Amino acid sequence: MDARLRRVNKEIADCKNDRTSNITLELIDNSPFHLKGSFPGPEGTPYQGGLFEVDIVIPDSYPFQPVKMKFITKVYHPNVSSASGAICLDILKDAWSPVLTLKSTLISLQSLLCSPEPNDPQDAEVAKHYTTSKGSFDETARYWTQIYAGGPGTKEVKGLRGVKDEVAIAGLEKAHVDQFEGLGFPRNKVIDVLRRLNYRGANVAQISEDRVVEELLKS
Amino acid sequence: MSDYDISDNEADYYDSDEMMEDYQNDDDQDEDDMEMDDYNDDFRISAGSKQKSYEVDYKSLSQSSVEKTMKEDVDHICGIFGVEPAIASLLLRHADWNKEPLIERYMENATKVLVDAGVAIPEPVAEPTPVRTHHSVDKLSTGSASRRSTRSSSKLLSSLTSPTRSSAQKSSFSSPSSSSSSISASKSRTKDKLSEEPEQKSFTCPICFDDSPSLKPLSLICGHPACSGCWNAYTVSKIRDEAEHCIRCMTEGCAIVAPDDFIHDILLSDAAAPPDSNPDDNQTAWVRFQELLVRSFVGANPKLKFCPYPGCTNTVSCPAAASKSVLTTMVPIVSCGAKGIPKDASAAAASSSSSSGVTTVTTTPPSSLYDKEHVFCFGCPIESDHRPVVCAVARLWLKKCEDDSETANWIKSNTKECSQCQSTIEKNGGCNHMTCKKCKYEFCWVCMGPWSEHGTAWYSCNRYDEKGGVEARDAQSRSRASLERYLHYYNRWANHEQSAKLSIELYAKTEKKMEDMQITSSLTWIEVQFMRKAVEVVERCRSTLKWTYAMAYYLAKGNEKDLFEDNQRDLEKAVEDLSELLESPIESENIPVLRQKVTDKTVYVQKRNEIVLEDTATGFQDGRWRWNVSVDGFEEPPEELMVN
Repeated sequence: MDARLRRVNKEIADCKNDRTSNITLELIDNSPFHLKGSFPGPEGTPYQGGLFEVDIVIPDSYPFQPVKMKFITKVYHPNVSSASGAICLDILKDAWSPVLTLKSTLISLQSLLCSPEPNDPQDAEVAKHYTTSKGSFDETARYWTQIYAGGPGTKEVKGLRGVKDEVAIAGLEKAHVDQFEGLGFPRNKVIDVLRRLNYRGANVAQISEDRVVEELLKS
Repeated sequence: MSDYDISDNEADYYDSDEMMEDYQNDDDQDEDDMEMDDYNDDFRISAGSKQKSYEVDYKSLSQSSVEKTMKEDVDHICGIFGVEPAIASLLLRHADWNKEPLIERYMENATKVLVDAGVAIPEPVAEPTPVRTHHSVDKLSTGSASRRSTRSSSKLLSSLTSPTRSSAQKSSFSSPSSSSSSISASKSRTKDKLSEEPEQKSFTCPICFDDSPSLKPLSLICGHPACSGCWNAYTVSKIRDEAEHCIRCMTEGCAIVAPDDFIHDILLSDAAAPPDSNPDDNQTAWVRFQELLVRSFVGANPKLKFCPYPGCTNTVSCPAAASKSVLTTMVPIVSCGAKGIPKDASAAAASSSSSSGVTTVTTTPPSSLYDKEHVFCFGCPIESDHRPVVCAVARLWLKKCEDDSETANWIKSNTKECSQCQSTIEKNGGCNHMTCKKCKYEFCWVCMGPWSEHGTAWYSCNRYDEKGGVEARDAQSRSRASLERYLHYYNRWANHEQSAKLSIELYAKTEKKMEDMQITSSLTWIEVQFMRKAVEVVERCRSTLKWTYAMAYYLAKGNEKDLFEDNQRDLEKAVEDLSELLESPIESENIPVLRQKVTDKTVYVQKRNEIVLEDTATGFQDGRWRWNVSVDGFEEPPEELMVN
């Protein structure tokens, strides 16, 4: 049997038998080389309570070359692209070792959620948010976990508003957005610009209103 | 590893101290040798015996001769450290082939160097003293077998190095323990063990989960086992896909590096290489591995540069251009001596699927002028002769031509932006009353102000002379002038490049005609060769001319520039004359006259070319040239010479 297929089959079987790690692997289509992995958000983090799904593609040269993984679930995290789900993690690149498995890699992703590396970011805007105001970042990450990963409080949020709160998704203060929207700019544009400028926490004092208006006029 | 011991270290230290002196003498001698070699070198382009001021001394080396130099370094380290060549090679590669710092660090803390290079297993954090004495006792015994058993007793290798291992397998991986070694601290570590688990315990490869009884576990000195199939696939993948010559143990976090003999065996030896692996892939990977080693060696040595032409494996040694600082005074154009793109390389790319032995038909025209020599610059990444201009200026020019700064310049000179929606607008006629197509904003082209302020009856801008308007116009005309200046030089540069190509094409046709003539008339082959020589000269001179325009663009105004442009003009005139002659119709009766004319002109053109090259080169040596922009490595030009 093909060594790669044998290994992947064994890995999937191992994962099924292991009930303690809470990590699952399932086929997406008929190919055993395109999988969907999932793991619960680690406790004691803003991701707690969410279930995070990962798209896994196993290359031809697996396990000698690393698996390709990206988040299907949207995650607010400095090392994960908030747009594409691309992950910045060394073991998915040059630090890969053939003895690593799908399960151990997913566990590494889980621990990446516990310990972000804002100095080596995948998403610079999110990383800026993380470094300037950790509290506000946690709040946003928790909100993302609620609306995208089915985290606790999902029902309240949905029940309360019926729609997703764009301001909270962007990690901004409603008052700030309202303030500039009041000047006559479209709401989504205001959110866009404020997010890009990292208009949060202590940073708000650093950015003059004129600067914001200037950016709003430009875009 | 714990088994390195201080007493040894000391003895070793004195030993190598002497060696260091020897080594330094060696080095001096080497350099002398090199100069001698250069003197006799066949690869030199220089026609005359005398070195021209625009030429540089260099030497072309084949891959095997670089390998020989590498081996000398390795042997040298072997001699000093008393380690095996495979270990010395790993140490050198880890130290970027920098011998002196390596020797220094090794003398300071050999164990650390060995661990860092992935040659030895890191010591356990707290090493009990009894073990240390045990090891130092062990050191006195020279046999590597006892050493290995020592380690296996203390490390996790026990099952892998079990005595059930057959001697045949042992020899396939470990060379017969070689003689004497006072400092065999790392010696035994080179032995990579190919060993079989005892029959009763079945082995499951942790990588592929295969557990067939025929499976042979294989490990580096760290003892992390995997089957030979996985080792082979892993090695091939690392070499082929990642161009990596440093093949680490597959286990996560293990830093042990596979020595060359292990890689050789896993790819090529009958005993170790898995039978189901593709022998072609293995062979390719091994050849590639050798090349990667040479590349790492060449890359670490500033006196060497790998030939950038595809498929070429030669290296050029040019000690004169080794430091970046000399690049302001010389243009180190070198050639590796080879010509064209190797047939096998291009053919392999074109028809890799076709069976071997089939003669491949090349699609390139057979004209020998296409078989270009591998000429490149030693000092910068430009893969052609950019004389007379120095690397920094040539790079500036190429960058200017490449990036779209000039497009932006054009846009700036010819367009304006709508002051409401910032769309770029080119005015292509009509009056000054503009209406933006996009946002319907109406404005005055002259002052860019809203049209409503101009009144409806009067189509002229009464705000024309306002300060803002004047400034805007000035900026626009400056930008236009700078664009024109650039285009002047660029057009001439591009023209020479184009003309050189055309004259080669023309020559291809002429060559055919001449060959016909050789058959129909009484002319001999040698008599029709004058055209070939002339085309070569034209091509070379056009390359010089091309770069003189890049140089002139950046030269600061002054007498020096005037003289430079005089020389440039003379050469240009001569080259154009010769080009014209080459295009004149060839009839058998006018050949003798034409030949005379072409030959005379060729000699003259060559002379003029030399004058330009010589004068520019001496100018660089004397620091005579001044630039109108700031150039890397040169003094910042005074404000009045600067051009935007």
